[in-house]
Amino acid sequence: MSELRRDPIGGRWVIVDTDHPNKPEDYEHEAHTWRGGACPFCYGNESLTPPEIESIRDSHTSPNTSGWQVRVVANKFPALQIEGDLDRRGVGIYDMSNGIGAHEVLIESPYHHKDIPDLLNPEIENIISMLCRRALDLIKDKRFKYIMVFKNYGPAAGASLEHPHTQMIALPMVPKNVMEEIKGAYNYFEYRERCIFCDLIRQETQDKERIIFENKYFLSFCPFVSRFPFEIWIIPKKHNGYFCHMPPEEIPALASILKDTVSKVKNVFANPAYNFIIHSSPINGESGIEGYHWHIEFMPKLTRVAGFEWGSGFYIVPTPPELAAKYLREGTTYGT
Amino acid sequence: MPELRKDPIIGRWVIIATERAKRPDQFGTQAQQGPVEKPCPFCEGKESQTPPEIYAIRPKFTSPNSPGWELRVVPSIAPFLRVEGDLERRGKGLYDLMNGIGAHEIIIESNQHIDNMADLSEAQISKVITCYIDRIIDLEKDRRFKYVLVFKNYGWIAGGGRIKHARSQLIATPVNPKRVKEELVGARHYYDYHERCVFCDLIKQELESKDRLILDVDGFIAITPFAARFPFEVWILPKKHSCDFINLDMSMRLELGRILKKILSKLKKGLNDPPYNYILHTAPFRRQKVGYWRSIDYDYHWHIEIIPRLTRVAGFEWGTGFYICPLPPEDAAKFLREVDVG
Repeated sequence: MSELRRDPIGGRWVIVDTDHPNKPEDYEHEAHTWRGGACPFCYGNESLTPPEIESIRDSHTSPNTSGWQVRVVANKFPALQIEGDLDRRGVGIYDMSNGIGAHEVLIESPYHHKDIPDLLNPEIENIISMLCRRALDLIKDKRFKYIMVFKNYGPAAGASLEHPHTQMIALPMVPKNVMEEIKGAYNYFEYRERCIFCDLIRQETQDKERIIFENKYFLSFCPFVSRFPFEIWIIPKKHNGYFCHMPPEEIPALASILKDTVSKVKNVFANPAYNFIIHSSPINGESGIEGYHWHIEFMPKLTRVAGFEWGSGFYIVPTPPELAAKYLREGTTYGT
Repeated sequence: MPELRKDPIIGRWVIIATERAKRPDQFGTQAQQGPVEKPCPFCEGKESQTPPEIYAIRPKFTSPNSPGWELRVVPSIAPFLRVEGDLERRGKGLYDLMNGIGAHEIIIESNQHIDNMADLSEAQISKVITCYIDRIIDLEKDRRFKYVLVFKNYGWIAGGGRIKHARSQLIATPVNPKRVKEELVGARHYYDYHERCVFCDLIKQELESKDRLILDVDGFIAITPFAARFPFEVWILPKKHSCDFINLDMSMRLELGRILKKILSKLKKGLNDPPYNYILHTAPFRRQKVGYWRSIDYDYHWHIEIIPRLTRVAGFEWGTGFYICPLPPEDAAKFLREVDVG
């Protein structure tokens, strides 16, 4: 059983893997290359993953065989465990609880070498609808307070397998960063009775200089306060707190803006590692979400976070977002 | 002029470089960019290759920017913040911003071409500590500054760059950084309720349980924190309560040099010379100000946090502020206790 532990000073929760602790020699600090061997996410290797939770597949095929388009399985090495109670408790001045949660992996396509820009729009729509379906299912478990959807692409961004995949973690508490964002948005809403994200969309569409793409339902832009160079947000224009409540007509629009935006990033940088994270409202009784607005934060991994950022929470952005947006709009290829 | 911009949602300030703006091809992809060493401008005899020195420990008969020094502080060649100018706080629609005013200095820790601080002598490390204190005291005189962050990036992965010469950095900022503020507020909350310092309580508990204790010497302890964010994260804390690092007396500076060398040597030997960051956590400048609490002297406790860079921070950690630590700190402490560095 892994543990959740709380920093008594900052209030930050962390997950400590007490079950399968790494030994010191398990760590590498050189740039790592992909593991060899059979890819558990390719056709024919379905037996190498835990059994599938859900999939979109050809009607005549059975679960855990080939013939799927999108496949969701439990993470083989989950950060959190699904069975059991939280059992919150104290140890002297410290607070802790059991590491309860769900950790799922969505295999985006059967193609080992195809990332979002290489997929067809309907294939990306499948990924989005499956993410919504899984979230709607996980919400039913009342122990969960937040669903975190994220993607690590490339070893530098933390991916351990090459075959593109997205992960979902259902958490038993609302994480610190999310809580801060929600509180901030809530304070703004209390005072102005408007959603800060809606205001931000309004200002960005007027300024135009940080916008990369815009379609009927979505906007992709480099935020005024980026933390990382070429950070991008993709946000629905219509106010909506939960990504999984996305109206069906918005799904093709999201697939298209996601594909266009990631393609631009890959035009500008030669297949960079990246992370993206879906920011959405907390679930199951965490209130005060009127002022929150779901969105995707996309971060190409171009710089290293060093001592100053760790210590201060100040991030240094060496390319202004206005310029980044310009480079991305132009989509010129630089370097090799 | 670089800008500081405030996130309208969670209140985090960021620095936007406008003049040092990079083109996309100036970013290397991590895996491809090998650590090809650059010629060193920090060795003795190369003084003309750095901006003029701000501070040095050198014999009286030597002149500034010439050989003979033991330690030297120079402004950063590529500063994140600028020393000249006014803050000019202003709004832009719903966004807030101000000019990127601040100081960014490089502390060259030795005249020898040694990369890892672990390989400096205890006496030399205590000179580095004295230098931190002297620089913080000097920067406090500039009323535009609220905080000085002292830190070290060692090794390529940790942001150490291509020059392999031991150095620390300090950045004086015109606002209290978010992480610093969070820690201060957390410590104050604890103090408000318990009327005790949370760090003092923590030290007491760690000395009793010993599970996470690495070293217990005169004046200091080194532990792995209960809620470690990273494997082998280490904290060094003074046992006697003090909120401000600059109050450290001479004997304590030597003592700190000794424990710092021990811990860095244990990391180097036990983990095969890993890249690391360390960060000095100390109280902000405490000038009289309306609405500022006066209990920092009692509720805050300075310390050093060392983070070996063995894992990568991925999407989940960025998004949530939840860190996944793949090694219990108790195991890390046990391992580090057993690494013999004499």
